[in-house]
Amino acid sequence: MNIAVETSTEGIVIFRLTGKLNMVYAPTLRQEITEQISTGHNKIVIDMSGVDFMDSSGLGALINGLKGARQAGGDLRLAAPVEQVKLVLKLTNLDRVIKTYSSAEKAFSES
Amino acid sequence: MNDASYSLTMFSPPATLDEVHELLSAVWEKSPHVSAENQMRFETALIELVSNVFRHADTGDGVACALNIDISDMHIEAQLSDTGEPGDFKLMHATMPDELSESGRGIALIQALMDEFTFENQGEHNIWRILRRFTPEEAE
Repeated sequence: MNIAVETSTEGIVIFRLTGKLNMVYAPTLRQEITEQISTGHNKIVIDMSGVDFMDSSGLGALINGLKGARQAGGDLRLAAPVEQVKLVLKLTNLDRVIKTYSSAEKAFSES
Repeated sequence: MNDASYSLTMFSPPATLDEVHELLSAVWEKSPHVSAENQMRFETALIELVSNVFRHADTGDGVACALNIDISDMHIEAQLSDTGEPGDFKLMHATMPDELSESGRGIALIQALMDEFTFENQGEHNIWRILRRFTPEEAE
């Protein structure tokens, strides 16, 4: 899996992921999100459009980031998940907890 | 007739799931009668199962797993046999943890994805089995 990080002029951090978000790569993502939050960024977007598969370990990394961002007064949101990711979110009821948007650019545009 | 069988032997460490994904890519190519929904459900459940074995069954010497996949007109099934620690493992009534819990969803997720999910310990092996039945339209 590849992780590219960019910060918008509004201070929103966008993680653009490519590949499979599973038990092998979840710890790396968790650590990178934690680093961003610890340096003062509390608005995090995970662009999932390039993730063709996510397991419960990947979901755990997202929840860890969500909790960290919310504790810092911000939020973690998802952009453009594929069907498999939507299925995992739905069956675990996390679709009620993590907000999902059609694109990374829209994730914080209406908050 | 759409019957086919596949097998794969894996060792952990290193815990890599790429070979499972690669095997399934080949399976889906040869079995176009499996719907996209069932492919997605089966792949998700199988990866959760293999991850679970890698994560919990390693007693320090590593773990070996033998994976067998069987497809027919009616269903797709996987059987995973591992050499991990004999588990006092209970599959009954797995429930999703609290929404903000960061782990503990694997077993409940497999149950939600599959029609059958069983576990038994046979001597030195743990035998895991998952099965997804096709709908009548898909089975035609």
